[in-house]
Amino acid sequence: MSLLGRVLGQNSDPDRQQHQAQQLARNQAWDTALTNQTLPDFVKQRLTDTKSGKLPWVSTGSVGALLAQRSHGIHPLGMVSGNCWYHYGYSWTRGHYDGWHTAIDRMRQEATLMGANAVVDVKMTATRMEGTGEDQMDYAVLGTAVRIAGLATPRTPVIATVSALEFARLMESGILPVGLAIGAHYNWHYSYRNASGQGTWWNQELRELSDFMTDIRRAAIGQLASDAARIGTGVLARVQFSELLRGESTENDPRQRFLGRHIAFGTAVLHEPGRHISLKLKPVFSVSDGKMTPVMPTEKEII
Amino acid sequence: MADETGTQANPALAGLPKHALERLQGLREAGQSGGIFTSDLSVNEFLMVREAGFEPLGLVVGSCIYHVGIQYGSWAQNQELNVISQAMYQARELAMTRMEQEALALMADGVVGVRLEVKRLGWDSDILEFMAIGTAISHSAGHPGFKGPKGMPFTSDLSGQDFWMLLRAGHRPLAMVMGSCVYHVAHQGVFKSMGNVGRNVEITQFTQAMYDARELAMERMQNEAKEAGADGVVGVQLHEGSHNWQPHVIEFFAVGTAVKPIEDKALIPEPASPQIVIPVND
Repeated sequence: MSLLGRVLGQNSDPDRQQHQAQQLARNQAWDTALTNQTLPDFVKQRLTDTKSGKLPWVSTGSVGALLAQRSHGIHPLGMVSGNCWYHYGYSWTRGHYDGWHTAIDRMRQEATLMGANAVVDVKMTATRMEGTGEDQMDYAVLGTAVRIAGLATPRTPVIATVSALEFARLMESGILPVGLAIGAHYNWHYSYRNASGQGTWWNQELRELSDFMTDIRRAAIGQLASDAARIGTGVLARVQFSELLRGESTENDPRQRFLGRHIAFGTAVLHEPGRHISLKLKPVFSVSDGKMTPVMPTEKEII
Repeated sequence: MADETGTQANPALAGLPKHALERLQGLREAGQSGGIFTSDLSVNEFLMVREAGFEPLGLVVGSCIYHVGIQYGSWAQNQELNVISQAMYQARELAMTRMEQEALALMADGVVGVRLEVKRLGWDSDILEFMAIGTAISHSAGHPGFKGPKGMPFTSDLSGQDFWMLLRAGHRPLAMVMGSCVYHVAHQGVFKSMGNVGRNVEITQFTQAMYDARELAMERMQNEAKEAGADGVVGVQLHEGSHNWQPHVIEFFAVGTAVKPIEDKALIPEPASPQIVIPVND
């Protein structure tokens, strides 16, 4: 069949039917796999072939990360991934929690099949597609499964967001990044009183709302702690996001309505508290200058 | 494929504690049964805080949602808008105090990496949300010589790396200190503006306003540091901003970490004199 024929879709009938049948079989395989929480056979095959060396190893890491192969025995096996398109309706926080955890579980399944000790360099991406609605998105994770020389094949590998080099660095300090921890909480607050101080002209703390947000943040951080406690001894949560929104009051319900939410993401670590570490740091002073920045603000209006 | 002879084969594994090693081999699924810490430290900060001999205890947060009162400056007068100044200061203070209370409950020696954020809420321009967030830490050996003023936990906006360097410099953090001043810059009269047309001239009235506002903010911060019993203030930043106020209203906000020399000589780590380097690859 000519290339032009392919492009224009003027395939001969048997060809098209065959292609159609293959696609249907693939769809069926994904369907069954996702329902049974397993992987389709063709994915399993590729992973085991990569593991046995029939297929070349694949790594998302930099060339530098390969240094850890000889120095620390961290061998890249293959790229592993997982995703979950999740419709969260009202509970955006719950969506984040379930979506990410499901995606990670799927990635972990792939890494387990390869006999990995760890997945490093895990990157997270959330995708919204136009035309699918505001209340749903895809949560995806992608990383590199690695095998650490001198260790037995584990039942479940650890999931680390750091690169192979950082992973090696942390191992030396007796710290192991073990996974992702999420703490998310949201709540509604209804008030008969003037909780937002509307129409007043004096300074006042809106204590009702302060307390409301305090409770939400505490609950989210509490959840972060218990989520991390499943897998580690601590969590480094660099990403924090919080919001306080006001809902419109309706004719039937004159109360003021507020929605507060807080979400925290972090890397869970396993370490030995109180154990002294020495990094043998050597302070350096660089004589390279940064770029000159203008003294005058050009766009920002000051007054 | 990798050998499975045991840990002796890979010297890189020697530094790992037993439970971490077990986890890598899948012999252990869960974390520790004991306490768990939360934090907003980066991996590097976590390393540096621990290298300095401290342990993170927990993420501490203070929130304050504040309705800022209404105050107008006279059209043609330079003046501090003290009602708004007070609002900005009091709200930050409330958020910081609540964060400190959480740190106190964790029996922390102090809080590092404090971020003090102000956000205007989308649905009402008079309402500002203040949040203070940081990681409570304590000295691993439980030495009492690192507490802040009046035995309260110290607070500091320094990163984990800066905290390590501060101790090496022989100082310890006491408190995050701040000063705020919201100022109304006078409008120029029509005759005055017309008189200046086509002339090179300093508009002293505006110079004075900016100078005075900045001075007030710095003065207040310095006084706070004195009250905390500090020798100096490090890493001071001066922010200029307008939280969507009417035109000609500006806030100067000074913030830094008040420090003093470490009293107990035994606690001072080895000095670190940096090696001067020049990168050749950029």
